[in-house]
Amino acid sequence: MTGPDAVTATPTATGGGTTATTNPASVADKSYGLGASVPPADADAKTQGVFPYAADLWAEGLLWAAVLRSPHPHARIVSVDTHAAAEMPGVRAVVTHEDVPGDLMHGRWVADRPVFAKDIVRYHGEPIAAVAADHPGTARLAAAAIAVEYELLEPVTDPEQAFSAEALHPDGNLIRHIPLQFGDPEATGEVVVEGVYRIGRQDPAPIGAEAGLAVPRPDGGVELYLASTDPHADRDLASACFGLEPDRVKVVVTGVPGAMADREDPSFGLTLGLLALKTGCPVKLVATREESFLGHAHRHPALLCYRHHADAEGRLVKVEAQILLDAGAYADASSDALAAAVSFAAGPYAVPHVFVEGWAVRTNNPPSGHVRGEGAMQVCAAYEGQMDKLAARLGLDPAELRMRNVMATGDLLPIGQTVTCPAPVGELLKAVRDADLPPLPADDDEAEWLLPDGPAGAGEPGAVRRGVGYALGMVHMLGAEGYDEVSTATVRVQDGVATVICAAVDTGQGFATLARQIVQEVLGVDEVRVLPADTDQPPAGPAARGRHTWVSGGAVERAAKMVRTQLLQPLAAKFGMSVELLTIVEGKITSYDGVLSTTVVEALDGKELWATAQCRPHPTERLDDSGQGDAFVGLAFAAVRAVVDVDIELGSVRVVEMTVAQDVGRVLNPRQVEARIEAGVTQGVGMALMEDLRTSRGTVKRPSLTGYALPTALDAPQVRIVKLVEERDVVASFGAKAVSAVPVVTSPAAVAAAVRAATGRPVSRLPIRPQAAVAKPAGA
Amino acid sequence: MTLPTSLDEAVAALAAMPAAVPVAGGTDLMSAVNSGLLRPAALVGLGRISEIRGWQYADGNALLGACLTHARMGRSDFAALIPALAMAARAAGPPQIRNAGTLGGNIANAAPTGDALPVLAALEATVVLAGPDGTREIPVGHLTAGHDPLRPGELLAYVRAPLLHAPQTFLKATTRTGPGRATASVALVLDPARRGVRCAIGAVAPMPLRPLEAERWVSGLIDWDGSRALEPEACTAFGDYAAMSCIPDPAEGELPLALAHLRRTVAALARRALERALS
Repeated sequence: MTGPDAVTATPTATGGGTTATTNPASVADKSYGLGASVPPADADAKTQGVFPYAADLWAEGLLWAAVLRSPHPHARIVSVDTHAAAEMPGVRAVVTHEDVPGDLMHGRWVADRPVFAKDIVRYHGEPIAAVAADHPGTARLAAAAIAVEYELLEPVTDPEQAFSAEALHPDGNLIRHIPLQFGDPEATGEVVVEGVYRIGRQDPAPIGAEAGLAVPRPDGGVELYLASTDPHADRDLASACFGLEPDRVKVVVTGVPGAMADREDPSFGLTLGLLALKTGCPVKLVATREESFLGHAHRHPALLCYRHHADAEGRLVKVEAQILLDAGAYADASSDALAAAVSFAAGPYAVPHVFVEGWAVRTNNPPSGHVRGEGAMQVCAAYEGQMDKLAARLGLDPAELRMRNVMATGDLLPIGQTVTCPAPVGELLKAVRDADLPPLPADDDEAEWLLPDGPAGAGEPGAVRRGVGYALGMVHMLGAEGYDEVSTATVRVQDGVATVICAAVDTGQGFATLARQIVQEVLGVDEVRVLPADTDQPPAGPAARGRHTWVSGGAVERAAKMVRTQLLQPLAAKFGMSVELLTIVEGKITSYDGVLSTTVVEALDGKELWATAQCRPHPTERLDDSGQGDAFVGLAFAAVRAVVDVDIELGSVRVVEMTVAQDVGRVLNPRQVEARIEAGVTQGVGMALMEDLRTSRGTVKRPSLTGYALPTALDAPQVRIVKLVEERDVVASFGAKAVSAVPVVTSPAAVAAAVRAATGRPVSRLPIRPQAAVAKPAGA
Repeated sequence: MTLPTSLDEAVAALAAMPAAVPVAGGTDLMSAVNSGLLRPAALVGLGRISEIRGWQYADGNALLGACLTHARMGRSDFAALIPALAMAARAAGPPQIRNAGTLGGNIANAAPTGDALPVLAALEATVVLAGPDGTREIPVGHLTAGHDPLRPGELLAYVRAPLLHAPQTFLKATTRTGPGRATASVALVLDPARRGVRCAIGAVAPMPLRPLEAERWVSGLIDWDGSRALEPEACTAFGDYAAMSCIPDPAEGELPLALAHLRRTVAALARRALERALS
C-alpha cells in the first residue's frame, strides 16, 4: 500500500506546483488528508502492470464472444439466418433478439434501444447478433457467417431533415424540445450580431480496450465483470434484459482505464450475460477499436443559430438562439444534454432577455450520449463566437466586452434559477487577461520554435501569425432536473486501518484517492483502503458531472465522522469532555489540554467500528414548458485564454499555451486538480482542432485511431493554471466544485477565438478545418 | 515464419512458398493482420538480412538496403548524402514507427501518403528486385503503380538513388503539430549536373505526381553557374504552376472548396520547397 512514507519523502514535489498562487502555504506541507497532493490510488498498480484492466480478465473454461454489427445505417432486416454460424465447429451459442428472455428494449434514460436489432437497424454498427465460441477467431468468423438479408432504407443523416422525415423509431424523431422564454421577447439592442455555428462529433476514444467477462452463477444468476462507470444502472439494465431479479445479477467493476463518458456500448454487458446464461460458461468479449468507435456514445453534433443584441456600450440585452442536437438513433442522455445546452445558451453572462429553442432529434448517425460537458460545450463555442463578433462590431477588446457582461452570484440564469453558489466569473477572466503572454518566438532561438505542422513539417516562420483568444464557460454539477442524487458509503476501522466501501467508480477522476484523503482527514489514520466497487454495495450512481466528489465524497465524510464519534465517545465520556475537544493526528488521539494521549489502535481495543451514511443534495426540478425551473444543484466556471500560432498559408494551427483560471470551490488535492485541468484542456484542444468522427450518409468513415486524430504530446499545449479561485460553495461537500468538465467545455471556444484573432476569419465550425484558418497576409 | 539471414535465403524461402509475405518493420503489415484485413499464409522476416540494412556507394549512386529504417535514414550522416530522404524519414510518424518502419516497406506498401515516395520520384530512383532468376532493376514508380509488379519469389532488395550533391527539400503538411499522415507533401531536388529542378507532389493522388512543365520552366530560369537565386515572384509562380498541374480545374464548374484548399497547400509547399532549396 502507498503509505504516508511515500508521500512525505517528496514534500516539495507533492505540494503547490502551478497551483501555489492560491493555495495557502500550509497545504503544501501536508502529506495526507484533504488539501494534500496524495498520489493517485491506482498509480502503483498501473506502473507495476497489475492494474486489473477488463481486457486481461480470465476464467477457467471461458468462451469468446463476437458481435455481428450492421454495416448499414438504416435498413430493414428481412431475415437473419444463424444456421451456418451455429454449426461451425467450436461455436457454442448464437443469440439474436429472439433469445432475449426479458425486456428487449433498454436505455439508461429511456428504454428505446433494442439489445439486438429487431426488424430495423438504425445506425452503422448496431448489434444484430452475437456468438460465443471456444476461440476468439472462431467467434469472429462465426459472427461473419451469420447471413442477414437487408432491405436498405434511406438514412436520415441531416438533423434538420429529422423533423419532416418519416419516423425512424416508434417514439418519433423528436426526442425533446425546450422552448426557453426568459424576459421580454420585444426587447432589442442597438447592435445585433448573428452567427451560425456547427460542432462536430467528438469520440471519447478511451484508450484502454473495451472488454468484459460474464460468469454464470450456480443459482441461475450471472456476474458481469465490466469497466462500468455506473454499476447499479448497468445491473438494472442487465437484469431486466435477462428477465432476472436484480439481486441475481451482480456487476463487478474491474479497473476502468479512464473514462470521460459512459465507457462502452451499453449493450456490452447484456450481450455477455445472455451468452453466459445460454452456454453456462464464462464468456469474454473484447471490442476491436472499430467496434468501440461504432458502438459507444459520442458527443452530440450540433447546429446553433444565434442572434445577440447589445447596447452601444456592449452590454448584452437579448440572446436568441436555436439549438439542434443530433442524438443519433436512440435517446440515451440527449434530454440531459439539451437541458444543459438550452440553460447555458447565453453562457456565464448576465442577460436580461433570453429566448432559446432547443431540439434533440433522432437520426441514423452514430449514437450520441454522455461525454463530459455535454450540451454546455457546444453552446460555449457558439456564444463565445458571438461575443467575439460583438466585440469586433463595437470595436471593443474581446476580454473587455466579456468583462462588461460577466455573471455574478445572485444573477438569474435564463431558466429563472438564481445563481446561489460562488460565481467568480469576473475574477477568473481578469486572472487570465492579466497573465503574462508566452514569449514570442522572435525573442527565442528560432531553432527551438515548434511550428504548426510539427518539428519536421512544412511550417514557415514568415507565414505564422499569433492569435490570442478568450472564452468563459460553465457547467452544472450533479444530475439535473429532478434526478434523485444520492450516494451511500461505508467506513470501517480495525487495527488502525480504515476501509472505505462505496460503489462510486474511480474512472481516473481520482475518487479512490479522494476517499482515502477524506478518511485520513476525519479519522487521522494513515492507511486507508478503498475496496473495489460492485453492486452488492449500496448504489452510488454514475461517475459523471463531478458527482462523486460531492455526493459520494460527502457520504464517505459522514460515515467517517460517525466512526470517529463511535471511537471517541467512550474516551470523551471517561475524561468528562466532549468529542469535539479531541483531535486525531497520525493515529494519535490527544485532547485539547494534552491530558489525554493515546492511539487509535489502543482506543479501538481490538474492536471493529462500522458506519454507513448517505449524502443526498437538495432536490432539483424539471424545466417546465417555457424552460423555467430550478434545475441544477451547482455550477462551476472557468476562464481560458488560448494563444495559438497559425500558418496562414496552410491553415495549420498549433496551440502554444492555454491559460486557465478556474472556480474550484476548494482544492482537495492540488496535483489531482492540476492533472484534471490539463486533461480537460487537452481534450478541448482535440475538439477544437482535430477530433471529428466523420460519416458519409450515416456510415462511419475510418473508425480507427489513424482515421480519428487525437492530440499527441506535440499537439498538447502548455497548460498554465494562473488561478484557482477557492471560494467555498457552502452547499457542496467540502465546499469543492467539480474540476474536470469545465475546461473541456471552455477550451474549444478559446482556441476558436484565438484562431479568429490570428486570421481574421469567422471560425464558426469545430473542429477548425485548415481551410477555415487560411488568410491573406497583411498588406497583400 | 522463416527468418533468413541472407538475400539468397530469403529469395529461396519466397520461391519455395510464393504465398508467403515478406515482412520487415511490420508497421503497416501487422496492423492489417491484427485488424483481420490480411491473413498471410506465412511470413518471411527480413530483419536478420544484414546486407540490406545499410547502404553502399555504386558509380555515383547510393545503393540503399530495403531494410534501412526511417530512424537510420534520419541521422545526419545519411542526411549529408540524400537530404530530402532524411527529411522524409524524420517526418514519417512517431519514433516507434520510425525505429521499425523501413524504406522498402514504404515502397512495398505504396500508400498514397508514403513519405519516401515523392522523394524517390523526384530523385528518379530505381528499385533492385532480387528473384530466383537473378536481379532486375526498374523505376520505383513502375513498381508502386503496379505497371511491373513483383514476380513470384521476388523481393525488393535495394533502392538505387543518385547522389546529386546539391540542396534538396521535403515538406509535409499534416494539419497538426504531432506526427500525422501527410495531407500533401512536396519533395524537391536540384540536379546541377543536368541543370534541372525535379519536384514530386505526394499524398494528393494515389501516386506521387511530377509537375514536369513547371520543373522545366523553373529550371530554365535558374542561373546554374551563378547564385541560383530566383525572384520571390518566380518561386510563387512555380508553386502555383506545380499545384495547378497536380490539381487542375475541373472541365466545368468550380473546384470544390476542399480541393481548392489542397491546391493552395501544394502551391505554398512547392514555393517554400524551392525557396529553401535555392537559398
